[in-house]
Amino acid sequence: MFLTIDTTDPRPIYQQVVDGIKALIANGTLGEGAPLPPLRQVAADLRVNLNTIAAAYKALHEAGLIVVKHGSGAIVASQTSAGRSEEELVRPLRAALTDLILAGLSTEKIARIVMRELKLAKESR
Amino acid sequence: MTLPTQDWFLVVLYAMFWAVRINGCVRRGRQPLLRGREWFFNVRVQGGFYDGPGKAILRQYWLRMMIPFAVDIPWAIAIFRSGQLFQLNFLVLATSALIHANHLFSVRIAERQARAYAVKESERPAARLALSLAPRRLRDYTNPVFEGVLAVLTVSSLIFLVGYYLASPPHVSARIVFGAPLFMLYTQAGMLIIKRAAIAWPSPVPTEHAEEHMHASEERRRYYVRLWDWSRAASVASLVMWPVLISLPGAAGNRALAIWLGACLVAGVVATVLGEIKRKQIAALAARAMPVLLPDLLASGGAGWPVCYQPSAPVLMLKSARGYSLNLGNSIAQFTAAYVAGFAVLVFVLTRMAP
Repeated sequence: MFLTIDTTDPRPIYQQVVDGIKALIANGTLGEGAPLPPLRQVAADLRVNLNTIAAAYKALHEAGLIVVKHGSGAIVASQTSAGRSEEELVRPLRAALTDLILAGLSTEKIARIVMRELKLAKESR
Repeated sequence: MTLPTQDWFLVVLYAMFWAVRINGCVRRGRQPLLRGREWFFNVRVQGGFYDGPGKAILRQYWLRMMIPFAVDIPWAIAIFRSGQLFQLNFLVLATSALIHANHLFSVRIAERQARAYAVKESERPAARLALSLAPRRLRDYTNPVFEGVLAVLTVSSLIFLVGYYLASPPHVSARIVFGAPLFMLYTQAGMLIIKRAAIAWPSPVPTEHAEEHMHASEERRRYYVRLWDWSRAASVASLVMWPVLISLPGAAGNRALAIWLGACLVAGVVATVLGEIKRKQIAALAARAMPVLLPDLLASGGAGWPVCYQPSAPVLMLKSARGYSLNLGNSIAQFTAAYVAGFAVLVFVLTRMAP
């Protein structure tokens, strides 16, 4: 079970950490209650500033995906985004769909992409 | 030649030290070629390297391995001629530190020389790196039963020593009763700091063959953690034996000392052999994971000097552009600094105690 960081990826490192952990939670690799490594460990392993990883954990905490316990690290809170409205959850999907439409992709192609990505995200469950 | 038991022990210990270091020399001598002739340590070299410039680089590396011998052989001769064999302890400690430091610098020099003949593509840092999401906390590498036994034995022997000192006649020195145990306790604290640093040591790996790299790095980490755990156990065993040795009368005390030192030698030989077997297994694992340069996302080469703040590095001294810099950026580095200062205090206190 590992997280991959790509230095050529245009996303900032903290975003890559957030997306990586989200993906591992989504595909079931990180189950509910699974402990996450301490901030300092991730920062040291990636050789990045502690604040970068703190920002990533904060984002995951705010998304309700992890519970940060002071002094004992973080654990995966739930595999569902409990407490968040459907509207809130759909918003990033809507933005991504808008990008695909603006890129000139047909409705069928967009539907195929969405189905493929959904399958990939759930593959390991 | 008639020597007291302790002196015989020191001579045998020194002979064992030589056996171990000769083995270490052979092992270090083979290290550059561990991955075959395409590699020089972790540098992937061009074909024909060892027939051309590599031959001289390798020879210089082998010659640098001899530097510690030039220091300790004259020292050892002086000790044997003076008859103050207890100084062999300091010689072994100092030579071990020198061998280690000399090896680190020598490898760095040799790799830098070899980089001029490296395969260019291999010198480009990997774009992607992987990190394990398995938490590495002290408790993940600690056996509570083992720690409990060490704690009970330590406290029991200290209680016995206090009782023995209070019940003994006034001429019995506090330094003799408590000096060695205090030193052993302090050594244990140092070993705990090293254990924490070994656990916290960063281990990013390239995404290519990530599993092999992670396995090798985790095995190495567990080896070092176990090594320091068993070293602490050995220190506790000495702490337990101390009250026995000082409380037994003359002849019985000497017999107990001889048995104890004999047991230490046997345990030392067994531990060395087992450690060497494990070290070879880890080296084989590490050789399977081909080294890849990793990107420095923090650009730590720009660390300040003479003091820097690097929370991610669990060490007291860090290499910066201007030389080594003092890092106090995390609790392990701070504990190490306090430990070094505390050691000076301990030595001061011990020397002030009445002999």
